[in-house]
Amino acid sequence: MELGTGLFALLGIGALFFLTTQTTGSDDFNVDDTFEVTARFENVGSLKPRAPVSMSGVTIGRVTDIRFDSQSLEAVVTFVIDSRYDEIPDDSDASILTAGLLGSQYVGLTAGGSPLSLEDGSEILFTQSAIVLENIIGKFLIGGTSGDETESEE
Amino acid sequence: MFRDIWMTFERFLHSFGGMCLFLLRMLQFTPGVVLRRFRLVVYQVYNAGALSLVVIMISGLFVGAVLALLAHSSLEQFNAEDTTGIFAGLGLVKGIGPVLTALLFAGRAGTALTSEIGLMKATDQLSAMEMMAVDPVRYVAVPRFLGGVVAMPLLSAIFTAVGLLGAHLVAVEQYGVDVGAYWQQMQNVMDWEDVSEGITKSVVFGVVASLVAVWEGYNSTPTAEGVGRATTRTVVVTSIAVLFFNYMITAMYI
Amino acid sequence: MQFSRGSRSIFRDLDLTIRKGDVTAIMGPSGTGKTTLLQLITRQLSPDRGQVFVAGDDISGYSRLELYAMRKRMGMLFQNGALLTDLSVFENVAFPLREHTDLGERLIRNVVLMKLHAVGLRGAAYMMPSQLSGGMARRVALARAIVMDPALLIYDEPFVGLDPISMGVIAKLIRQLNDALGITSVVVSHDVHEIGEVADFSYVIADGRVAASGRPEDLKNEQSELVRQFMLGLADGPVAFHYDAPDYAQQLLGPSQD
Repeated sequence: MELGTGLFALLGIGALFFLTTQTTGSDDFNVDDTFEVTARFENVGSLKPRAPVSMSGVTIGRVTDIRFDSQSLEAVVTFVIDSRYDEIPDDSDASILTAGLLGSQYVGLTAGGSPLSLEDGSEILFTQSAIVLENIIGKFLIGGTSGDETESEE
Repeated sequence: MFRDIWMTFERFLHSFGGMCLFLLRMLQFTPGVVLRRFRLVVYQVYNAGALSLVVIMISGLFVGAVLALLAHSSLEQFNAEDTTGIFAGLGLVKGIGPVLTALLFAGRAGTALTSEIGLMKATDQLSAMEMMAVDPVRYVAVPRFLGGVVAMPLLSAIFTAVGLLGAHLVAVEQYGVDVGAYWQQMQNVMDWEDVSEGITKSVVFGVVASLVAVWEGYNSTPTAEGVGRATTRTVVVTSIAVLFFNYMITAMYI
Repeated sequence: MQFSRGSRSIFRDLDLTIRKGDVTAIMGPSGTGKTTLLQLITRQLSPDRGQVFVAGDDISGYSRLELYAMRKRMGMLFQNGALLTDLSVFENVAFPLREHTDLGERLIRNVVLMKLHAVGLRGAAYMMPSQLSGGMARRVALARAIVMDPALLIYDEPFVGLDPISMGVIAKLIRQLNDALGITSVVVSHDVHEIGEVADFSYVIADGRVAASGRPEDLKNEQSELVRQFMLGLADGPVAFHYDAPDYAQQLLGPSQD
């Protein structure tokens, strides 16, 4: 009886551990030492807090907050980046990308050429909004005459 | 007609109230039982859990395999076979795992609990305890209830894990979905909240299924026919209650 | 000790007294509520009206704790023994000791073996209840009932369904335990013959009241028709052979009107 119970409890706890660690991906960025950066986007699409921030395909940070600035009428996205990556040029470009055709959205950084680096509290000036599928289709149908630019750079 | 509905509702209220009071009474005895009769609880964990293990594992394997088959054949049309893992993972962890485990638990362990307690009642064992100044709720009901409550989340986790394995076998081994893609896609979409939803459900279902089984046994008519009817009721009531709570918890997490 | 109780349905103004140190038999036809009476004495049920006194105390006002304290001084033998099926014979007998005392393992062992020896089943200590015959199970239950050295022992239909040998054994044990341990015994039974051998005093209950009382020999000479029918086992009498029914001829020959 003790043997059976022990085996059962062990299996159960093992399965719980397996479920919490192997099926969830939220723990791949779990760094305490980070710095905070903001960026303004005209349109964030369906970006959500906790979405990854990646550079060259490697996750280096995580979105922590998305707000709407009622003065500039833009979305302000705040994210944290692992402090190990402290030499990212401050003229780098942030865009909101989609993982695959129907996947979730994330922030992708593309390196610039400035000698200065991003640090806590800096703002990324060059941003590219999320591609909104409906707008592209609409533009395509009307023949590109619509003035509604889906991609804008500041 | 209206009267009948009211009567049914009144009967429902009666047994629901009885069950709630019974739960409170058991909770009141729980600390004492855990401290002084720990062996009884361990034995019931064994009874409810270890003996259901094989049923749970086999069922989990096949349920996971079917999920993967269905997901794969639909997703194939969109060239999105790589996301099979998402469907199997989300489906098993958030809903199917805990619900099916609870239903299997009601059929395997719940009926056993009800008929065991019912037979103890029919053979005067509960009255004999009363006469020996031992409260049968404390000696019989609480250890069985706690055993079920402890066993259920573990069983649900095992079911889900084995189900993911079954889905993996079908998706990766049979249909050639990339192993990395299968797990990576799942991990990208699922987070801790999904797993905690599954765990919450299995704990709630554990309480519900064990409470119903013990209560039905304890309140059965002490005859062969009465115990049989109580056993049937355990399965019916547990199933309805589990599906109801499944809806409630799912709605709460959205 | 004195018990009295009044109730509309089963007992109407039932009043009986059980003398300390005696084996008192309570007899009566089936369905007169003999088992109900035992449940009243042990307060598994409460009377609608009237009182039950145990050792001079009215037990209807007892709290749960007082009730349990009272029951620790009572032993009860259920109709089929009511042994706990998941415990061995030894553990069944040890059960009240383990629950209510802090005795050491060695002492418990000795007490249990002593009690099992008293009922002649020391050799069966490590069997499971499912392996016992009906008579043996009842003797084990008896050992369990006396393990706390009660002042009052209650037997619910101890002779039902036993072969003559087992019956004799149980009857002998009832008498022996009563005399050797100096306890008070209450035996509920409808087995006139066996009761005649063990009881000091008998009550016959019928129609919700005491129909007759006295020593077993006296009861045999009782004049009341009902008591005569019961003692002699006549098929027809005050307790009619036929359950209440409409007139026979009329029901067979008359127009059907179900």
